[in-house]
Amino acid sequence: MAAVAVHQFAECITCHAWSPDQSMVAFCPNNSEVHIYKLFGEKWEKMHVLSKHDQIVCGIDWSLKSNKLVTVSHDRNSYVWSQEGTEWVPTLVILRLNRAALCVQWSPKENKFAVGSGAKSICICYYEQENNWWVSKLIRKRHESSVTSVAWHPDNILLATTSTDGKCRVFSTYIKGVDSKEPESSSSDLKFGEQIAQLDLSVTWAFGVRWSPSGSILAYAGHNSMIHFIDDVKSNPSAQSIPLRDLPLRDLLFLSDRVVVGVGFDCNPMIFTADDTGLWSFTKYLDQRKAAPSSSRGSQLSEAFGKLYGTSKQVPSNDTVEPSKPRGGAHENCITCIVPLWKRGNTTLCRFSTSGLDGKVVIWELDIPK
Amino acid sequence: MAAEEEYLEAEENLEAIITRIEHKSRKIETLLKQSKPVDALKTALEGSALKTRDERCKSANWIVVHRAMMAIKDVDGMISSLDPEYYDILMKYLYRGLATGDRPTCDQCLRIHEKLTEKAGLGCILRSLSDTVNTV
Repeated sequence: MAAVAVHQFAECITCHAWSPDQSMVAFCPNNSEVHIYKLFGEKWEKMHVLSKHDQIVCGIDWSLKSNKLVTVSHDRNSYVWSQEGTEWVPTLVILRLNRAALCVQWSPKENKFAVGSGAKSICICYYEQENNWWVSKLIRKRHESSVTSVAWHPDNILLATTSTDGKCRVFSTYIKGVDSKEPESSSSDLKFGEQIAQLDLSVTWAFGVRWSPSGSILAYAGHNSMIHFIDDVKSNPSAQSIPLRDLPLRDLLFLSDRVVVGVGFDCNPMIFTADDTGLWSFTKYLDQRKAAPSSSRGSQLSEAFGKLYGTSKQVPSNDTVEPSKPRGGAHENCITCIVPLWKRGNTTLCRFSTSGLDGKVVIWELDIPK
Repeated sequence: MAAEEEYLEAEENLEAIITRIEHKSRKIETLLKQSKPVDALKTALEGSALKTRDERCKSANWIVVHRAMMAIKDVDGMISSLDPEYYDILMKYLYRGLATGDRPTCDQCLRIHEKLTEKAGLGCILRSLSDTVNTV
Protein backbone atom coordinates (compact mmCIF):
# COMPACT_ATOMS: atom_id res chain seq x y z
CA MET A 1 0.00 0.00 0.00
CA ALA A 2 2.59 2.53 -0.96
CA ALA A 3 5.34 3.07 -3.50
CA VAL A 4 5.11 0.36 -6.13
CA ALA A 5 8.00 1.45 -8.31
CA VAL A 6 10.73 4.07 -8.15
CA HIS A 7 12.56 5.18 -11.28
CA GLN A 8 15.48 7.60 -11.32
CA PHE A 9 15.38 9.29 -14.70
CA ALA A 10 17.39 12.45 -14.30
CA GLU A 11 18.86 14.82 -11.74
CA CYS A 12 15.71 16.86 -11.60
CA ILE A 13 12.31 16.53 -13.24
CA THR A 14 10.09 19.53 -13.87
CA CYS A 15 6.91 17.71 -14.86
CA HIS A 16 5.79 14.41 -16.38
CA ALA A 17 2.92 12.71 -18.18
CA TRP A 18 1.98 9.14 -19.11
CA SER A 19 0.89 7.74 -22.45
CA PRO A 20 -2.69 6.41 -22.70
CA ASP A 21 -1.58 2.79 -22.30
CA GLN A 22 0.89 3.80 -19.55
CA SER A 23 3.79 2.14 -21.32
CA MET A 24 5.59 5.40 -21.99
CA VAL A 25 6.38 8.37 -19.81
CA ALA A 26 7.24 11.85 -21.04
CA PHE A 27 9.06 14.27 -18.75
CA CYS A 28 11.26 17.32 -18.80
CA PRO A 29 14.64 16.81 -17.13
CA ASN A 30 14.85 20.48 -16.11
CA ASN A 31 16.01 21.65 -19.54
CA SER A 32 14.40 22.61 -22.82
CA GLU A 33 13.79 19.04 -23.95
CA VAL A 34 11.09 16.48 -23.39
CA HIS A 35 12.29 12.90 -23.02
CA ILE A 36 10.00 9.97 -23.72
CA TYR A 37 10.97 6.66 -22.17
CA LYS A 38 9.36 3.29 -22.78
CA LEU A 39 9.38 0.34 -20.42
CA PHE A 40 10.71 -2.87 -21.93
CA GLY A 41 10.26 -5.55 -19.30
CA GLU A 42 12.32 -4.20 -16.44
CA LYS A 43 14.35 -1.58 -18.26
CA TRP A 44 13.48 1.90 -19.37
CA GLU A 45 14.73 2.92 -22.80
CA LYS A 46 14.86 6.48 -24.09
CA MET A 47 12.67 6.44 -27.19
CA HIS A 48 12.36 10.06 -28.23
CA VAL A 49 13.79 13.44 -27.40
CA LEU A 50 11.50 16.31 -28.33
CA SER A 51 13.58 19.46 -28.55
CA LYS A 52 11.69 22.35 -30.04
CA HIS A 53 11.54 24.61 -27.03
CA ASP A 54 14.25 27.11 -26.14
CA GLN A 55 13.71 27.19 -22.39
CA ILE A 56 12.52 24.92 -19.61
CA VAL A 57 9.42 22.93 -20.44
CA CYS A 58 7.26 23.49 -17.42
CA GLY A 59 4.05 21.73 -18.42
CA ILE A 60 3.33 18.48 -20.26
CA ASP A 61 -0.02 16.80 -20.75
CA TRP A 62 -0.77 13.67 -22.73
CA SER A 63 -4.33 13.31 -23.95
CA LEU A 64 -5.72 9.85 -23.29
CA LYS A 65 -8.10 9.48 -26.20
CA SER A 66 -6.41 11.37 -29.00
CA ASN A 67 -2.81 10.51 -27.98
CA LYS A 68 -1.54 14.05 -28.39
CA LEU A 69 1.14 15.64 -26.26
CA VAL A 70 0.96 19.31 -25.41
CA THR A 71 4.03 21.03 -24.01
CA VAL A 72 4.42 24.57 -22.75
CA SER A 73 7.62 26.32 -21.87
CA HIS A 74 9.12 29.42 -20.34
CA ASP A 75 9.88 30.50 -23.91
CA ARG A 76 6.20 31.57 -24.16
CA ASN A 77 5.45 28.91 -26.77
CA SER A 78 3.39 25.78 -26.84
CA TYR A 79 3.61 22.77 -29.12
CA VAL A 80 1.05 20.07 -29.79
CA TRP A 81 2.85 16.85 -30.73
CA SER A 82 1.18 14.03 -32.60
CA GLN A 83 2.73 10.69 -33.21
CA GLU A 84 3.12 9.78 -36.86
CA GLY A 85 4.73 6.40 -37.17
CA THR A 86 7.83 6.49 -35.01
CA GLU A 87 8.22 10.26 -35.05
CA TRP A 88 6.59 12.98 -33.01
CA VAL A 89 5.53 15.88 -35.19
CA PRO A 90 5.20 19.26 -33.49
CA THR A 91 2.63 21.91 -34.30
CA LEU A 92 3.38 25.35 -32.96
CA VAL A 93 0.54 27.02 -31.11
CA ILE A 94 0.96 30.78 -30.97
CA LEU A 95 -0.17 31.68 -27.51
CA ARG A 96 0.42 35.44 -27.84
CA LEU A 97 2.01 35.65 -24.44
CA ASN A 98 4.67 38.10 -23.37
CA ARG A 99 5.68 36.09 -20.30
CA ALA A 100 6.44 32.44 -19.60
CA ALA A 101 3.78 29.77 -19.77
CA LEU A 102 3.60 27.91 -16.46
CA CYS A 103 1.11 25.06 -16.66
CA VAL A 104 -1.09 23.23 -19.16
CA GLN A 105 -3.98 20.79 -19.13
CA TRP A 106 -6.10 19.11 -21.80
CA SER A 107 -9.83 19.54 -21.31
CA PRO A 108 -11.86 16.39 -20.54
CA LYS A 109 -13.12 16.16 -24.14
CA GLU A 110 -9.61 16.94 -25.39
CA ASN A 111 -10.82 19.50 -27.89
CA LYS A 112 -9.30 22.38 -25.91
CA PHE A 113 -6.37 22.95 -23.62
CA ALA A 114 -5.71 25.67 -21.08
CA VAL A 115 -2.36 27.32 -20.39
CA GLY A 116 -1.61 29.40 -17.31
CA SER A 117 1.10 32.01 -17.63
CA GLY A 118 3.22 34.56 -15.89
CA ALA A 119 1.51 37.23 -17.98
CA LYS A 120 -1.43 37.16 -15.54
CA SER A 121 -3.55 35.53 -18.22
CA ILE A 122 -4.86 32.16 -19.34
CA CYS A 123 -4.85 30.90 -22.92
CA ILE A 124 -7.64 28.61 -24.04
CA CYS A 125 -6.57 26.88 -27.24
CA TYR A 126 -8.83 24.99 -29.60
CA TYR A 127 -8.37 23.41 -33.00
CA GLU A 128 -9.81 25.19 -36.00
CA GLN A 129 -10.52 22.59 -38.67
CA GLU A 130 -10.78 24.99 -41.63
CA ASN A 131 -7.36 26.53 -41.15
CA ASN A 132 -5.77 23.40 -39.70
CA TRP A 133 -4.24 25.13 -36.74
CA TRP A 134 -4.69 25.74 -33.03
CA VAL A 135 -6.17 29.11 -32.09
CA SER A 136 -5.53 30.69 -28.74
CA LYS A 137 -8.07 32.86 -26.94
CA LEU A 138 -6.80 34.80 -23.95
CA ILE A 139 -8.53 35.57 -20.70
CA ARG A 140 -6.61 38.68 -19.71
CA LYS A 141 -8.71 40.20 -16.97
CA ARG A 142 -8.97 39.40 -13.26
CA HIS A 143 -5.64 37.82 -12.44
CA GLU A 144 -3.32 40.07 -10.52
CA SER A 145 -0.30 37.83 -10.78
CA SER A 146 1.07 34.64 -12.36
CA VAL A 147 -1.28 31.73 -12.85
CA THR A 148 0.32 28.70 -11.23
CA SER A 149 -2.12 25.94 -12.11
CA VAL A 150 -5.28 25.28 -14.10
CA ALA A 151 -7.93 22.59 -13.78
CA TRP A 152 -10.85 21.68 -16.03
CA HIS A 153 -14.27 20.89 -14.61
CA PRO A 154 -15.73 17.61 -15.98
CA ASP A 155 -18.26 19.64 -18.00
CA ASN A 156 -15.44 20.83 -20.30
CA ILE A 157 -16.45 24.50 -19.87
CA LEU A 158 -15.55 25.68 -16.39
CA LEU A 159 -11.89 26.22 -15.64
CA ALA A 160 -10.42 26.79 -12.18
CA THR A 161 -7.13 28.63 -11.78
CA THR A 162 -4.81 29.41 -8.89
CA SER A 163 -2.46 32.31 -8.86
CA THR A 164 0.40 33.80 -6.92
CA ASP A 165 -1.98 36.55 -5.85
CA GLY A 166 -3.39 33.92 -3.49
CA LYS A 167 -6.79 33.62 -5.13
CA CYS A 168 -8.53 30.76 -6.84
CA ARG A 169 -10.86 31.72 -9.66
CA VAL A 170 -13.36 29.83 -11.81
CA PHE A 171 -13.97 30.98 -15.39
CA SER A 172 -16.23 29.94 -18.19
CA THR A 173 -14.41 28.96 -21.37
CA TYR A 174 -17.43 28.45 -23.57
CA ILE A 175 -16.45 28.79 -27.22
CA LYS A 176 -19.14 28.95 -29.86
CA GLY A 177 -18.63 26.23 -32.41
CA VAL A 178 -16.46 24.14 -30.13
CA ASP A 179 -18.67 23.64 -27.07
CA SER A 180 -22.24 22.48 -27.22
CA LYS A 181 -24.86 24.36 -25.25
CA GLU A 182 -26.13 22.44 -22.25
CA PRO A 183 -29.84 22.97 -21.47
CA GLU A 184 -29.29 23.63 -17.74
CA SER A 185 -26.45 26.11 -18.08
CA SER A 186 -27.16 29.72 -17.20
CA SER A 187 -26.38 32.62 -19.51
CA SER A 188 -23.25 33.62 -17.65
CA ASP A 189 -21.85 30.16 -18.28
CA LEU A 190 -22.04 30.84 -21.98
CA LYS A 191 -19.83 33.88 -22.06
CA PHE A 192 -16.18 33.20 -22.73
CA GLY A 193 -13.90 34.57 -20.04
CA GLU A 194 -16.69 35.28 -17.59
CA GLN A 195 -15.54 34.88 -13.98
CA ILE A 196 -17.93 32.58 -12.17
CA ALA A 197 -16.31 32.73 -8.73
CA GLN A 198 -13.32 34.09 -6.90
CA LEU A 199 -12.09 32.43 -3.72
CA ASP A 200 -10.02 34.49 -1.37
CA LEU A 201 -9.08 31.93 1.26
CA SER A 202 -5.31 32.01 1.01
CA VAL A 203 -3.15 35.00 1.87
CA THR A 204 -0.18 33.32 0.23
CA TRP A 205 0.52 31.84 -3.19
CA ALA A 206 -1.92 29.17 -4.26
CA PHE A 207 -1.01 25.98 -6.13
CA GLY A 208 -2.45 22.74 -7.38
CA VAL A 209 -6.15 23.40 -7.96
CA ARG A 210 -8.24 20.31 -8.78
CA TRP A 211 -11.91 19.45 -9.21
CA SER A 212 -13.34 16.28 -7.71
CA PRO A 213 -14.44 13.62 -10.27
CA SER A 214 -18.07 14.68 -9.96
CA GLY A 215 -17.14 18.34 -10.25
CA SER A 216 -18.85 19.31 -7.01
CA ILE A 217 -15.77 19.96 -4.86
CA LEU A 218 -12.80 22.19 -5.58
CA ALA A 219 -9.52 21.89 -3.70
CA TYR A 220 -6.30 23.87 -3.76
CA ALA A 221 -3.20 24.30 -1.62
CA GLY A 222 -1.87 27.50 -0.12
CA HIS A 223 1.81 28.14 0.35
CA ASN A 224 1.23 28.80 4.05
CA SER A 225 0.84 25.07 4.66
CA MET A 226 -2.89 25.00 4.24
CA ILE A 227 -5.25 23.10 2.03
CA HIS A 228 -8.66 24.47 1.11
CA PHE A 229 -11.75 22.50 0.08
CA ILE A 230 -14.73 24.30 -1.41
CA ASP A 231 -18.08 22.67 -1.93
CA ASP A 232 -20.58 23.80 -4.54
CA VAL A 233 -18.59 26.69 -5.99
CA LYS A 234 -21.20 27.93 -8.45
CA SER A 235 -24.24 28.50 -6.29
CA ASN A 236 -23.49 28.32 -2.58
CA PRO A 237 -19.79 27.96 -1.82
CA SER A 238 -18.82 26.60 1.58
CA ALA A 239 -15.14 26.29 2.36
CA GLN A 240 -12.99 24.27 4.73
CA SER A 241 -9.40 25.24 5.34
CA ILE A 242 -7.16 22.71 6.98
CA PRO A 243 -3.82 23.84 8.42
CA LEU A 244 -1.08 21.31 7.77
CA ARG A 245 1.43 20.21 10.34
CA ASP A 246 4.40 20.38 8.05
CA LEU A 247 5.60 21.93 4.85
CA PRO A 248 3.33 23.23 2.07
CA LEU A 249 1.86 21.23 -0.79
CA ARG A 250 2.53 21.86 -4.47
CA ASP A 251 0.03 19.65 -6.26
CA LEU A 252 -3.15 17.71 -5.53
CA LEU A 253 -5.08 14.79 -6.97
CA PHE A 254 -8.62 13.63 -6.27
CA LEU A 255 -8.75 9.84 -6.07
CA SER A 256 -12.49 9.98 -5.51
CA ASP A 257 -14.99 12.52 -4.25
CA ARG A 258 -13.88 11.70 -0.73
CA VAL A 259 -10.12 11.14 -0.99
CA VAL A 260 -7.42 13.62 -1.99
CA VAL A 261 -3.67 13.10 -2.25
CA GLY A 262 -1.44 16.11 -1.73
CA VAL A 263 2.25 16.28 -2.58
CA GLY A 264 4.82 18.92 -1.83
CA PHE A 265 7.86 19.91 0.14
CA ASP A 266 7.53 17.11 2.67
CA CYS A 267 8.59 14.68 -0.09
CA ASN A 268 5.82 12.40 1.10
CA PRO A 269 2.28 12.17 -0.32
CA MET A 270 -0.43 13.09 2.19
CA ILE A 271 -3.92 11.58 2.14
CA PHE A 272 -6.95 13.66 3.07
CA THR A 273 -10.37 12.08 3.44
CA ALA A 274 -13.86 13.42 3.89
CA ASP A 275 -16.23 11.73 6.28
CA ASP A 276 -19.95 11.18 5.65
CA THR A 277 -20.82 14.75 6.60
CA GLY A 278 -18.31 16.11 4.10
CA LEU A 279 -15.80 17.21 6.73
CA TRP A 280 -12.24 16.92 5.40
CA SER A 281 -9.25 15.99 7.52
CA PHE A 282 -5.69 14.78 7.17
CA THR A 283 -5.50 11.00 7.37
CA LYS A 284 -1.91 9.91 6.95
CA TYR A 285 1.35 10.09 5.07
CA LEU A 286 1.66 7.47 2.35
CA ASP A 287 5.34 6.66 2.56
CA GLN A 288 6.68 4.53 5.38
CA ARG A 289 9.74 6.26 6.68
CA LYS A 290 12.50 4.39 8.49
CA ALA A 291 12.66 6.91 11.35
CA ALA A 292 9.94 6.53 14.00
CA PRO A 293 7.42 9.40 14.10
CA SER A 294 7.09 11.82 17.01
CA SER A 295 9.95 11.10 19.37
CA SER A 296 12.81 11.15 16.92
CA ARG A 297 11.11 13.96 15.03
CA GLY A 298 11.48 16.10 18.09
CA SER A 299 15.16 15.33 18.28
CA GLN A 300 15.53 15.93 14.55
CA LEU A 301 14.11 19.40 14.98
CA SER A 302 16.24 20.03 18.04
CA GLU A 303 19.23 19.03 16.00
CA ALA A 304 18.28 21.49 13.32
CA PHE A 305 17.45 24.28 15.71
CA GLY A 306 20.12 23.13 18.11
CA LYS A 307 22.54 25.90 17.35
CA LEU A 308 19.72 28.37 17.75
CA TYR A 309 18.53 27.03 21.10
CA GLY A 310 21.87 26.04 22.58
CA THR A 311 23.76 29.29 22.27
CA SER A 312 22.68 32.84 22.05
CA LYS A 313 25.89 33.94 20.40
CA GLN A 314 25.86 34.83 16.75
CA VAL A 315 26.38 31.68 14.70
CA PRO A 316 28.34 32.47 11.54
CA SER A 317 27.63 29.27 9.60
CA ASN A 318 24.31 28.85 7.96
CA ASP A 319 23.54 25.18 8.46
CA THR A 320 20.72 25.38 10.96
CA VAL A 321 18.21 23.90 8.53
CA GLU A 322 18.01 20.26 7.48
CA PRO A 323 17.56 20.42 3.74
CA SER A 324 19.19 17.38 2.16
CA LYS A 325 19.18 14.83 4.95
CA PRO A 326 18.17 11.51 3.41
CA ARG A 327 14.85 10.76 5.03
CA GLY A 328 14.62 7.17 3.88
CA GLY A 329 11.56 7.63 1.74
CA ALA A 330 10.84 7.21 -1.96
CA HIS A 331 11.37 10.86 -2.82
CA GLU A 332 14.37 12.80 -1.55
CA ASN A 333 13.34 16.23 -2.64
CA CYS A 334 10.21 18.25 -3.21
CA ILE A 335 7.48 16.50 -5.20
CA THR A 336 6.15 18.93 -7.79
CA CYS A 337 3.83 16.91 -9.97
CA ILE A 338 1.22 14.20 -9.44
CA VAL A 339 -0.48 12.40 -12.35
CA PRO A 340 -3.34 9.86 -12.23
CA LEU A 341 -2.89 6.36 -13.67
CA TRP A 342 -6.31 5.02 -14.54
CA LYS A 343 -6.73 1.26 -14.76
CA ARG A 344 -8.93 0.24 -17.65
CA GLY A 345 -12.43 -0.54 -16.52
CA ASN A 346 -11.99 0.94 -13.04
CA THR A 347 -14.17 3.80 -11.96
CA THR A 348 -12.15 4.60 -8.86
CA LEU A 349 -8.58 5.75 -9.10
CA CYS A 350 -6.06 3.95 -6.96
CA ARG A 351 -2.81 4.39 -8.87
CA PHE A 352 -0.89 7.56 -9.47
CA SER A 353 2.65 8.71 -10.10
CA THR A 354 4.66 11.55 -8.66
CA SER A 355 7.76 13.31 -9.92
CA GLY A 356 10.00 15.73 -8.15
CA LEU A 357 13.13 17.77 -7.97
CA ASP A 358 15.15 14.65 -7.12
CA GLY A 359 14.63 13.39 -10.68
CA LYS A 360 12.55 10.39 -9.66
CA VAL A 361 9.21 9.19 -10.91
CA VAL A 362 7.48 7.07 -8.27
CA ILE A 363 4.36 5.02 -8.86
CA TRP A 364 2.01 4.61 -5.91
CA GLU A 365 -0.88 2.28 -5.43
CA LEU A 366 -3.33 2.10 -2.58
CA ASP A 367 -6.67 0.55 -1.66
CA ILE A 368 -9.48 3.02 -1.41
CA PRO A 369 -12.27 2.07 0.95
CA LYS A 370 -15.59 2.43 -0.88
CA MET B 1 -15.51 39.77 16.85
CA ALA B 2 -13.40 39.78 13.73
CA ALA B 3 -16.01 41.87 11.95
CA GLU B 4 -15.28 44.81 14.22
CA GLU B 5 -11.68 45.09 13.16
CA GLU B 6 -12.02 46.48 9.67
CA TYR B 7 -9.16 48.08 7.82
CA LEU B 8 -10.47 51.63 8.17
CA GLU B 9 -11.49 51.72 11.79
CA ALA B 10 -13.44 54.50 13.42
CA GLU B 11 -11.87 56.09 16.48
CA GLU B 12 -14.21 54.35 18.90
CA ASN B 13 -13.26 50.90 17.61
CA LEU B 14 -9.60 51.48 18.41
CA GLU B 15 -10.55 52.75 21.85
CA ALA B 16 -12.70 49.67 22.35
CA ILE B 17 -9.75 47.43 21.52
CA ILE B 18 -7.43 49.33 23.87
CA THR B 19 -10.01 49.11 26.64
CA ARG B 20 -10.35 45.40 26.10
CA ILE B 21 -6.60 44.98 26.28
CA GLU B 22 -6.46 46.95 29.53
CA HIS B 23 -9.20 44.77 30.92
CA LYS B 24 -7.24 41.68 29.88
CA SER B 25 -4.14 43.09 31.54
CA ARG B 26 -5.86 43.40 34.89
CA LYS B 27 -7.21 39.85 34.61
CA ILE B 28 -3.73 38.57 33.78
CA GLU B 29 -2.18 40.30 36.81
CA THR B 30 -4.76 38.58 38.99
CA LEU B 31 -4.07 35.19 37.45
CA LEU B 32 -0.31 35.63 37.83
CA LYS B 33 -0.74 36.49 41.51
CA GLN B 34 -2.68 33.25 41.83
CA SER B 35 0.28 31.41 40.24
CA LYS B 36 -1.67 30.47 37.13
CA PRO B 37 0.72 31.52 34.38
CA VAL B 38 -0.80 29.14 31.79
CA ASP B 39 -4.29 30.64 32.17
CA ALA B 40 -2.70 34.08 32.06
CA LEU B 41 -1.11 33.33 28.69
CA LYS B 42 -4.37 31.91 27.34
CA THR B 43 -6.20 35.07 28.39
CA ALA B 44 -3.51 37.17 26.78
CA LEU B 45 -3.76 35.31 23.45
CA GLU B 46 -7.56 35.26 23.40
CA GLY B 47 -9.24 37.97 21.40
CA SER B 48 -6.02 39.35 19.99
CA ALA B 49 -6.93 41.98 17.43
CA LEU B 50 -5.00 40.54 14.52
CA LYS B 51 -6.65 42.38 11.65
CA THR B 52 -6.10 45.86 13.04
CA ARG B 53 -3.36 47.95 11.49
CA ASP B 54 -3.00 50.28 14.46
CA GLU B 55 0.43 50.02 16.05
CA ARG B 56 -0.77 51.13 19.50
CA CYS B 57 -3.20 48.24 19.74
CA LYS B 58 -0.61 45.77 18.61
CA SER B 59 2.00 47.08 21.05
CA ALA B 60 -0.50 47.10 23.88
CA ASN B 61 -1.45 43.49 23.20
CA TRP B 62 2.21 42.52 22.84
CA ILE B 63 3.02 43.97 26.26
CA VAL B 64 0.24 41.94 27.79
CA VAL B 65 1.30 38.72 26.05
CA HIS B 66 4.93 39.36 26.93
CA ARG B 67 4.10 39.77 30.60
CA ALA B 68 2.26 36.44 30.66
CA MET B 69 4.89 34.67 28.57
CA MET B 70 7.80 35.64 30.81
CA ALA B 71 5.99 34.23 33.82
CA ILE B 72 5.78 30.72 32.36
CA LYS B 73 8.10 28.25 34.09
CA ASP B 74 6.69 24.92 32.89
CA VAL B 75 6.80 25.23 29.10
CA ASP B 76 5.85 21.60 28.38
CA GLY B 77 2.79 21.81 30.57
CA MET B 78 1.74 25.07 29.03
CA ILE B 79 2.00 23.78 25.47
CA SER B 80 0.07 20.60 26.21
CA SER B 81 -2.79 22.50 27.81
CA LEU B 82 -3.00 25.15 25.08
CA ASP B 83 -5.80 24.91 22.49
CA PRO B 84 -4.48 24.12 18.99
CA GLU B 85 -6.22 27.21 17.61
CA TYR B 86 -3.75 29.38 19.55
CA TYR B 87 -0.60 27.72 18.17
CA ASP B 88 -0.33 30.04 15.17
CA ILE B 89 -0.96 33.19 17.22
CA LEU B 90 1.56 32.18 19.87
CA MET B 91 4.15 31.48 17.18
CA LYS B 92 3.64 34.99 15.78
CA TYR B 93 4.20 36.50 19.22
CA LEU B 94 7.31 34.36 19.67
CA TYR B 95 8.79 35.85 16.54
CA ARG B 96 7.88 39.31 17.71
CA GLY B 97 9.68 38.50 20.95
CA LEU B 98 12.72 37.21 19.12
CA ALA B 99 12.79 40.42 17.11
CA THR B 100 13.20 42.54 20.24
CA GLY B 101 16.75 41.30 20.80
CA ASP B 102 16.29 41.58 24.55
CA ARG B 103 18.24 38.71 26.19
CA PRO B 104 15.73 37.36 28.75
CA THR B 105 12.83 37.72 26.28
CA CYS B 106 14.73 35.89 23.55
CA ASP B 107 15.78 33.10 25.92
CA GLN B 108 12.20 32.53 26.98
CA CYS B 109 10.93 32.76 23.41
CA LEU B 110 13.44 30.19 22.22
CA ARG B 111 12.50 27.83 25.03
CA ILE B 112 8.83 28.05 24.05
CA HIS B 113 9.64 27.96 20.31
CA GLU B 114 11.39 24.60 20.64
CA LYS B 115 8.45 22.98 22.41
CA LEU B 116 5.82 24.63 20.25
CA THR B 117 7.53 23.51 17.03
CA GLU B 118 7.67 19.94 18.34
CA LYS B 119 3.97 20.09 19.09
CA ALA B 120 2.65 22.11 16.18
CA GLY B 121 5.13 21.32 13.44
CA LEU B 122 6.83 23.38 10.76
CA GLY B 123 3.49 24.36 9.25
CA CYS B 124 2.86 26.56 12.27
CA ILE B 125 6.09 28.48 11.63
CA LEU B 126 5.21 28.85 7.94
CA ARG B 127 1.79 30.24 8.70
CA SER B 128 3.12 32.74 11.20
CA LEU B 129 5.82 33.98 8.82
CA SER B 130 3.72 34.13 5.66
CA ASP B 131 0.63 35.76 7.07
CA THR B 132 0.76 39.44 6.20
CA VAL B 133 -2.91 40.11 6.89
CA ASN B 134 -3.23 38.93 10.49
CA THR B 135 -0.13 40.37 12.14
CA VAL B 136 0.83 40.83 15.77
